[in-house]
Amino acid sequence: MTTIEKLSRRGFIVKSISALSTVYFIPDILTSVHAAKPLSEEVKSDTKWAMSIDVDKCAKGCTACVDACVEENGLYGFDRPETDSQWIRKLTIKDIKTDKVKVVPMLCQHCENPPCCDVCPTGASFRRIDGIVMVNQHTCIGCRYCMMACPFKARSFVHENLTEQVTTAPRGKGCVESCNFCVNRIDHGIPTTACEEACMKEGHKAISFGDLSDPNSRVSQALKTKQNRRLRADLSLKQRVTYSNI
Amino acid sequence: MYQLAMRLLLVIFFLISPDIYSHDGINHSIKGKSKADDAAQCVEPTEIMQKEHFVFLYHQRDKTVINGVRTKNHSFANCIDCHVSYDEVGKPIPINSEGQFCQTCHVQTAVNIDCFSCHASVPRGRKPEAHISFNYNHLENQVQVPHEIEELVSYVEGIK
Repeated sequence: MTTIEKLSRRGFIVKSISALSTVYFIPDILTSVHAAKPLSEEVKSDTKWAMSIDVDKCAKGCTACVDACVEENGLYGFDRPETDSQWIRKLTIKDIKTDKVKVVPMLCQHCENPPCCDVCPTGASFRRIDGIVMVNQHTCIGCRYCMMACPFKARSFVHENLTEQVTTAPRGKGCVESCNFCVNRIDHGIPTTACEEACMKEGHKAISFGDLSDPNSRVSQALKTKQNRRLRADLSLKQRVTYSNI
Repeated sequence: MYQLAMRLLLVIFFLISPDIYSHDGINHSIKGKSKADDAAQCVEPTEIMQKEHFVFLYHQRDKTVINGVRTKNHSFANCIDCHVSYDEVGKPIPINSEGQFCQTCHVQTAVNIDCFSCHASVPRGRKPEAHISFNYNHLENQVQVPHEIEELVSYVEGIK
Protein backbone atom coordinates (compact mmCIF):
# COMPACT_ATOMS: atom_id res chain seq x y z
CA MET A 1 0.00 0.00 0.00
CA THR A 2 1.33 3.41 -0.87
CA THR A 3 0.31 6.37 1.16
CA ILE A 4 -0.20 9.59 -0.64
CA GLU A 5 1.03 12.47 1.50
CA LYS A 6 -1.58 15.12 1.53
CA LEU A 7 -0.17 18.51 0.62
CA SER A 8 -1.11 21.24 3.03
CA ARG A 9 -2.39 24.53 1.70
CA ARG A 10 0.79 26.29 2.87
CA GLY A 11 3.02 23.61 1.39
CA PHE A 12 1.23 23.83 -1.94
CA ILE A 13 1.69 27.58 -2.17
CA VAL A 14 5.38 27.46 -1.14
CA LYS A 15 6.20 24.67 -3.57
CA SER A 16 4.36 26.18 -6.51
CA ILE A 17 5.98 29.59 -5.96
CA SER A 18 9.47 28.06 -5.79
CA ALA A 19 8.79 26.01 -8.92
CA LEU A 20 7.55 29.06 -10.77
CA SER A 21 10.49 31.16 -9.63
CA THR A 22 12.99 28.74 -11.16
CA VAL A 23 11.11 28.91 -14.44
CA TYR A 24 11.15 32.68 -14.19
CA PHE A 25 14.82 33.08 -13.25
CA ILE A 26 16.50 30.60 -15.58
CA PRO A 27 16.12 32.72 -18.73
CA ASP A 28 17.68 35.64 -16.86
CA ILE A 29 20.69 33.55 -15.96
CA LEU A 30 21.06 32.38 -19.54
CA THR A 31 21.09 35.86 -21.02
CA SER A 32 23.52 37.17 -18.41
CA VAL A 33 26.12 34.75 -19.76
CA HIS A 34 26.76 37.19 -22.58
CA ALA A 35 26.79 40.13 -20.15
CA ALA A 36 25.27 42.43 -22.72
CA LYS A 37 25.75 46.10 -22.06
CA PRO A 38 22.51 48.00 -21.34
CA LEU A 39 21.57 50.24 -24.26
CA SER A 40 21.89 53.36 -22.11
CA GLU A 41 25.44 52.64 -20.99
CA GLU A 42 28.58 53.87 -22.70
CA VAL A 43 31.12 51.37 -23.96
CA LYS A 44 34.02 50.67 -21.62
CA SER A 45 37.68 49.95 -22.17
CA ASP A 46 37.46 46.65 -20.30
CA THR A 47 35.76 45.20 -23.35
CA LYS A 48 38.26 44.34 -26.06
CA TRP A 49 36.67 43.19 -29.28
CA ALA A 50 38.91 41.06 -31.43
CA MET A 51 38.84 38.52 -34.18
CA SER A 52 40.95 35.52 -35.03
CA ILE A 53 40.88 33.94 -38.47
CA ASP A 54 42.05 30.40 -39.13
CA VAL A 55 43.18 30.56 -42.73
CA ASP A 56 43.32 26.76 -43.12
CA LYS A 57 39.60 26.54 -42.39
CA CYS A 58 38.71 29.28 -44.86
CA ALA A 59 37.35 27.51 -47.92
CA LYS A 60 38.34 28.46 -51.41
CA GLY A 61 35.41 29.74 -53.45
CA CYS A 62 33.22 30.35 -50.38
CA THR A 63 31.97 33.93 -50.09
CA ALA A 64 29.59 33.48 -47.16
CA CYS A 65 31.30 36.13 -45.02
CA VAL A 66 31.39 38.68 -47.82
CA ASP A 67 27.74 38.07 -48.72
CA ALA A 68 26.68 38.29 -45.09
CA CYS A 69 28.52 41.62 -44.74
CA VAL A 70 26.81 43.00 -47.83
CA GLU A 71 23.44 41.88 -46.50
CA GLU A 72 24.01 43.18 -42.98
CA ASN A 73 25.30 46.60 -43.97
CA GLY A 74 23.42 47.12 -47.23
CA LEU A 75 26.63 47.36 -49.24
CA TYR A 76 25.01 46.96 -52.61
CA GLY A 77 27.21 48.24 -55.38
CA PHE A 78 26.93 49.54 -58.91
CA ASP A 79 28.66 46.58 -60.53
CA ARG A 80 31.88 48.54 -60.62
CA PRO A 81 34.37 46.39 -58.71
CA GLU A 82 37.05 49.08 -58.82
CA THR A 83 35.07 51.53 -56.73
CA ASP A 84 32.29 49.56 -55.03
CA SER A 85 32.54 49.39 -51.25
CA GLN A 86 34.05 46.31 -49.70
CA TRP A 87 34.24 45.95 -45.96
CA ILE A 88 35.51 42.40 -46.17
CA ARG A 89 37.08 40.77 -49.20
CA LYS A 90 38.82 37.52 -49.95
CA LEU A 91 42.42 37.56 -51.04
CA THR A 92 44.32 34.72 -52.64
CA ILE A 93 47.90 34.54 -51.46
CA LYS A 94 50.69 32.31 -52.67
CA ASP A 95 53.81 31.29 -50.81
CA ILE A 96 56.70 32.09 -53.15
CA LYS A 97 58.79 29.24 -51.73
CA THR A 98 56.29 26.42 -51.75
CA ASP A 99 53.70 27.70 -54.25
CA LYS A 100 51.01 26.88 -51.67
CA VAL A 101 47.89 28.95 -52.32
CA LYS A 102 45.64 30.14 -49.52
CA VAL A 103 42.58 32.36 -49.31
CA VAL A 104 42.47 35.04 -46.64
CA PRO A 105 39.51 37.15 -45.59
CA MET A 106 40.75 40.73 -45.37
CA LEU A 107 38.92 43.37 -43.40
CA CYS A 108 39.71 46.36 -41.21
CA GLN A 109 42.32 45.04 -38.78
CA HIS A 110 41.16 47.30 -35.93
CA CYS A 111 44.68 48.34 -34.96
CA GLU A 112 45.47 49.57 -31.49
CA ASN A 113 47.74 52.15 -33.15
CA PRO A 114 45.62 52.89 -36.20
CA PRO A 115 47.43 54.88 -38.93
CA CYS A 116 44.06 55.98 -40.35
CA CYS A 117 43.29 57.88 -37.16
CA ASP A 118 46.76 59.43 -37.11
CA VAL A 119 46.29 61.06 -40.49
CA CYS A 120 42.61 62.05 -40.24
CA PRO A 121 42.40 65.87 -40.35
CA THR A 122 38.97 66.10 -38.70
CA GLY A 123 39.13 63.30 -36.17
CA ALA A 124 36.41 61.45 -38.01
CA SER A 125 38.50 58.29 -38.01
CA PHE A 126 38.60 57.26 -34.43
CA ARG A 127 39.17 54.26 -32.23
CA ARG A 128 36.26 53.57 -29.97
CA ILE A 129 37.27 52.84 -26.40
CA ASP A 130 36.40 49.15 -26.78
CA GLY A 131 38.84 48.80 -29.68
CA ILE A 132 36.64 49.27 -32.73
CA VAL A 133 38.16 51.56 -35.35
CA MET A 134 35.34 53.47 -37.04
CA VAL A 135 34.56 56.46 -39.21
CA ASN A 136 32.33 59.12 -37.73
CA GLN A 137 30.58 59.94 -40.98
CA HIS A 138 29.09 63.11 -39.48
CA THR A 139 32.54 64.67 -39.47
CA CYS A 140 34.21 62.81 -42.36
CA ILE A 141 35.03 65.20 -45.20
CA GLY A 142 35.99 62.49 -47.66
CA CYS A 143 39.64 63.48 -48.08
CA ARG A 144 40.66 59.78 -48.21
CA TYR A 145 43.95 60.26 -46.35
CA CYS A 146 42.99 57.27 -44.21
CA MET A 147 42.61 55.09 -47.27
CA MET A 148 46.14 55.93 -48.27
CA ALA A 149 47.47 55.41 -44.75
CA CYS A 150 45.91 51.98 -44.30
CA PRO A 151 48.46 49.26 -45.13
CA PHE A 152 45.68 46.70 -45.59
CA LYS A 153 43.57 48.62 -48.09
CA ALA A 154 40.64 48.00 -45.80
CA ARG A 155 38.70 51.19 -46.42
CA SER A 156 36.31 52.18 -49.18
CA PHE A 157 35.02 55.48 -50.42
CA VAL A 158 31.42 56.00 -51.49
CA HIS A 159 31.52 57.66 -54.89
CA GLU A 160 27.85 57.74 -55.77
CA ASN A 161 24.49 58.68 -54.33
CA LEU A 162 22.95 55.80 -52.42
CA THR A 163 19.28 55.17 -51.82
CA GLU A 164 18.92 51.69 -50.36
CA GLN A 165 20.83 52.00 -47.07
CA VAL A 166 19.70 49.83 -44.19
CA THR A 167 18.61 51.41 -40.92
CA THR A 168 21.43 49.87 -38.90
CA ALA A 169 24.22 51.04 -41.24
CA PRO A 170 23.92 54.64 -42.44
CA ARG A 171 26.33 55.37 -45.27
CA GLY A 172 26.46 57.88 -48.07
CA LYS A 173 28.28 59.65 -50.84
CA GLY A 174 31.46 61.50 -49.95
CA CYS A 175 32.40 59.46 -46.89
CA VAL A 176 34.98 56.80 -46.25
CA GLU A 177 33.75 53.60 -44.63
CA SER A 178 35.09 50.30 -43.44
CA CYS A 179 34.33 47.28 -41.30
CA ASN A 180 33.12 48.32 -37.86
CA PHE A 181 32.80 44.83 -36.34
CA CYS A 182 29.01 45.14 -36.82
CA VAL A 183 28.95 47.77 -34.11
CA ASN A 184 25.17 48.01 -34.15
CA ARG A 185 24.85 44.32 -33.35
CA ILE A 186 27.44 44.49 -30.60
CA ASP A 187 25.80 47.49 -28.95
CA HIS A 188 22.49 45.66 -29.01
CA GLY A 189 24.00 42.70 -27.20
CA ILE A 190 24.55 40.34 -30.10
CA PRO A 191 28.01 38.91 -29.47
CA THR A 192 28.81 38.01 -33.07
CA THR A 193 29.50 39.73 -36.35
CA ALA A 194 27.62 38.94 -39.55
CA CYS A 195 30.72 37.37 -41.15
CA GLU A 196 31.42 35.14 -38.17
CA GLU A 197 27.81 34.03 -38.01
CA ALA A 198 27.81 33.21 -41.72
CA CYS A 199 31.10 31.31 -41.44
CA MET A 200 29.75 29.25 -38.54
CA LYS A 201 26.52 28.54 -40.37
CA GLU A 202 28.53 27.32 -43.36
CA GLY A 203 30.32 24.98 -40.97
CA HIS A 204 33.80 26.32 -41.69
CA LYS A 205 34.29 28.11 -38.36
CA ALA A 206 37.29 29.98 -39.74
CA ILE A 207 36.34 33.26 -38.05
CA SER A 208 36.25 33.57 -34.26
CA PHE A 209 35.05 36.84 -32.82
CA GLY A 210 34.61 37.97 -29.26
CA ASP A 211 35.81 39.86 -26.24
CA LEU A 212 39.49 39.36 -25.41
CA SER A 213 38.92 40.11 -21.74
CA ASP A 214 36.52 37.17 -21.49
CA PRO A 215 38.70 34.02 -21.31
CA ASN A 216 35.80 31.86 -22.49
CA SER A 217 34.98 33.88 -25.60
CA ARG A 218 35.50 32.21 -28.95
CA VAL A 219 38.37 34.52 -29.87
CA SER A 220 40.19 33.93 -26.58
CA GLN A 221 39.87 30.18 -27.07
CA ALA A 222 41.16 30.48 -30.63
CA LEU A 223 44.14 32.54 -29.49
CA LYS A 224 44.88 29.98 -26.79
CA THR A 225 44.73 26.92 -28.99
CA LYS A 226 46.32 28.19 -32.18
CA GLN A 227 49.37 30.26 -32.85
CA ASN A 228 48.12 33.56 -34.20
CA ARG A 229 50.09 36.25 -35.94
CA ARG A 230 49.46 39.75 -37.10
CA LEU A 231 49.94 40.78 -40.70
CA ARG A 232 52.83 43.16 -41.26
CA ALA A 233 53.91 42.85 -37.64
CA ASP A 234 56.91 45.02 -38.53
CA LEU A 235 54.64 48.07 -38.55
CA SER A 236 53.75 47.43 -34.87
CA LEU A 237 50.16 48.51 -35.35
CA LYS A 238 48.94 45.91 -32.83
CA GLN A 239 45.96 44.80 -34.83
CA ARG A 240 43.01 43.18 -33.08
CA VAL A 241 42.43 40.92 -36.08
CA THR A 242 44.92 38.08 -36.13
CA TYR A 243 45.48 35.13 -38.43
CA SER A 244 46.55 31.57 -37.76
CA ASN A 245 47.98 29.02 -40.17
CA ILE A 246 49.02 31.73 -42.56
CA MET B 1 -21.06 102.61 -32.06
CA TYR B 2 -21.24 100.70 -35.34
CA GLN B 3 -17.87 102.12 -36.43
CA LEU B 4 -16.31 101.19 -33.12
CA ALA B 5 -17.55 97.64 -33.46
CA MET B 6 -16.16 97.43 -37.02
CA ARG B 7 -12.75 98.72 -35.89
CA LEU B 8 -12.68 96.27 -33.03
CA LEU B 9 -13.51 93.46 -35.41
CA LEU B 10 -10.72 94.61 -37.76
CA VAL B 11 -8.20 94.69 -34.92
CA ILE B 12 -9.26 91.22 -33.80
CA PHE B 13 -9.02 90.00 -37.40
CA PHE B 14 -5.45 91.25 -37.80
CA LEU B 15 -4.42 89.89 -34.43
CA ILE B 16 -5.53 86.34 -34.99
CA SER B 17 -4.95 86.03 -38.72
CA PRO B 18 -1.27 84.93 -38.64
CA ASP B 19 -2.11 81.92 -36.51
CA ILE B 20 -4.95 80.77 -38.70
CA TYR B 21 -3.34 81.24 -42.08
CA SER B 22 0.25 80.26 -41.30
CA HIS B 23 -0.19 77.18 -43.49
CA ASP B 24 -2.13 79.05 -46.19
CA GLY B 25 -5.27 77.44 -44.91
CA ILE B 26 -4.07 73.99 -45.88
CA ASN B 27 -4.73 71.39 -43.25
CA HIS B 28 -1.65 69.77 -41.75
CA SER B 29 -2.40 66.17 -42.66
CA ILE B 30 0.04 63.51 -43.77
CA LYS B 31 -0.75 60.85 -46.31
CA GLY B 32 -0.76 57.32 -44.96
CA LYS B 33 -0.83 56.02 -41.42
CA SER B 34 2.04 55.91 -38.97
CA LYS B 35 2.60 54.40 -35.53
CA ALA B 36 2.84 57.93 -34.13
CA ASP B 37 -0.78 58.61 -35.11
CA ASP B 38 -1.95 56.31 -32.35
CA ALA B 39 0.50 57.56 -29.72
CA ALA B 40 -0.72 60.13 -27.22
CA GLN B 41 2.58 62.00 -27.13
CA CYS B 42 6.08 61.85 -28.57
CA VAL B 43 9.09 61.04 -26.37
CA GLU B 44 8.94 64.61 -25.03
CA PRO B 45 6.01 67.09 -24.95
CA THR B 46 5.03 68.17 -28.47
CA GLU B 47 5.99 71.86 -28.02
CA ILE B 48 9.50 70.83 -26.95
CA MET B 49 9.81 68.33 -29.77
CA GLN B 50 8.78 70.93 -32.36
CA LYS B 51 11.43 73.39 -31.22
CA GLU B 52 14.24 71.17 -30.00
CA HIS B 53 14.14 67.85 -31.84
CA PHE B 54 17.42 68.58 -33.61
CA VAL B 55 19.12 69.35 -30.30
CA PHE B 56 18.18 65.88 -29.06
CA LEU B 57 19.31 64.33 -32.33
CA TYR B 58 22.67 66.13 -32.31
CA HIS B 59 23.28 65.13 -28.73
CA GLN B 60 22.30 61.52 -29.27
CA ARG B 61 24.24 61.21 -32.50
CA ASP B 62 27.62 61.82 -30.88
CA LYS B 63 26.73 59.68 -27.89
CA THR B 64 25.78 56.85 -30.23
CA VAL B 65 28.64 57.00 -32.69
CA ILE B 66 31.44 57.68 -30.23
CA ASN B 67 30.23 56.07 -27.01
CA GLY B 68 27.91 53.36 -28.26
CA VAL B 69 24.80 54.55 -26.40
CA ARG B 70 21.79 53.07 -28.17
CA THR B 71 18.80 54.26 -26.13
CA LYS B 72 15.70 54.49 -28.24
CA ASN B 73 14.08 57.70 -27.02
CA HIS B 74 16.15 60.21 -28.97
CA SER B 75 17.45 57.80 -31.58
CA PHE B 76 17.08 58.81 -35.20
CA ALA B 77 16.20 55.26 -36.29
CA ASN B 78 13.42 55.23 -33.74
CA CYS B 79 12.05 58.60 -34.91
CA ILE B 80 11.72 57.16 -38.39
CA ASP B 81 10.33 53.86 -37.18
CA CYS B 82 7.50 55.65 -35.40
CA HIS B 83 6.80 58.58 -37.72
CA VAL B 84 7.07 56.90 -41.11
CA SER B 85 3.70 56.51 -42.84
CA TYR B 86 2.51 53.35 -44.50
CA ASP B 87 0.26 53.42 -47.57
CA GLU B 88 -2.82 51.23 -48.16
CA VAL B 89 -0.76 48.17 -49.07
CA GLY B 90 1.45 48.57 -45.98
CA LYS B 91 4.47 49.88 -47.86
CA PRO B 92 6.42 52.58 -45.99
CA ILE B 93 6.54 56.00 -47.68
CA PRO B 94 9.96 57.71 -47.43
CA ILE B 95 9.72 60.16 -44.55
CA ASN B 96 11.50 62.89 -46.49
CA SER B 97 9.20 62.70 -49.51
CA GLU B 98 6.68 65.42 -50.22
CA GLY B 99 3.85 65.72 -47.76
CA GLN B 100 5.50 63.41 -45.23
CA PHE B 101 6.39 64.04 -41.60
CA CYS B 102 9.87 65.53 -41.92
CA GLN B 103 9.34 67.29 -45.19
CA THR B 104 6.09 69.15 -44.46
CA CYS B 105 7.61 71.32 -41.74
CA HIS B 106 11.05 71.60 -43.31
CA VAL B 107 9.55 72.98 -46.50
CA GLN B 108 7.46 75.41 -44.52
CA THR B 109 10.44 76.65 -42.50
CA ALA B 110 12.89 76.49 -45.43
CA VAL B 111 15.16 74.03 -43.67
CA ASN B 112 17.15 71.78 -45.95
CA ILE B 113 19.10 69.08 -44.15
CA ASP B 114 20.69 66.01 -45.63
CA CYS B 115 20.07 63.33 -43.01
CA PHE B 116 18.64 61.05 -45.64
CA SER B 117 21.58 61.09 -48.01
CA CYS B 118 23.08 58.58 -45.56
CA HIS B 119 20.28 57.43 -43.26
CA ALA B 120 17.51 55.17 -44.49
CA SER B 121 14.28 57.13 -44.96
CA VAL B 122 12.15 54.06 -44.28
CA PRO B 123 12.79 51.23 -41.81
CA ARG B 124 14.91 48.86 -43.86
CA GLY B 125 16.96 45.75 -43.11
CA ARG B 126 17.36 43.91 -39.86
CA LYS B 127 15.66 45.43 -36.83
CA PRO B 128 18.37 46.67 -34.46
CA GLU B 129 16.99 44.74 -31.50
CA ALA B 130 15.90 41.69 -33.51
CA HIS B 131 18.33 39.20 -32.05
CA ILE B 132 18.63 40.44 -28.48
CA SER B 133 17.02 37.40 -26.90
CA PHE B 134 18.56 35.10 -29.46
CA ASN B 135 20.95 32.60 -27.98
CA TYR B 136 24.00 32.22 -30.18
CA ASN B 137 25.38 29.20 -28.34
CA HIS B 138 23.66 26.90 -30.79
CA LEU B 139 26.05 28.08 -33.49
CA GLU B 140 29.07 27.02 -31.44
CA ASN B 141 27.56 23.69 -30.46
CA GLN B 142 26.46 22.93 -33.98
CA VAL B 143 27.77 19.45 -34.70
CA GLN B 144 30.08 19.77 -37.59
CA VAL B 145 30.92 16.84 -39.84
CA PRO B 146 34.05 18.03 -41.59
CA HIS B 147 34.82 16.48 -44.89
CA GLU B 148 38.35 15.75 -43.65
CA ILE B 149 36.98 13.18 -41.21
CA GLU B 150 34.89 11.55 -43.91
CA GLU B 151 37.93 11.44 -46.16
CA LEU B 152 40.02 9.94 -43.37
CA VAL B 153 37.42 7.26 -42.67
CA SER B 154 37.20 6.30 -46.33
CA TYR B 155 41.00 6.27 -46.55
CA VAL B 156 41.33 3.98 -43.53
CA GLU B 157 38.60 1.70 -44.87
CA GLY B 158 40.42 1.57 -48.19
CA ILE B 159 43.56 0.30 -46.46
CA LYS B 160 41.65 -2.57 -44.88
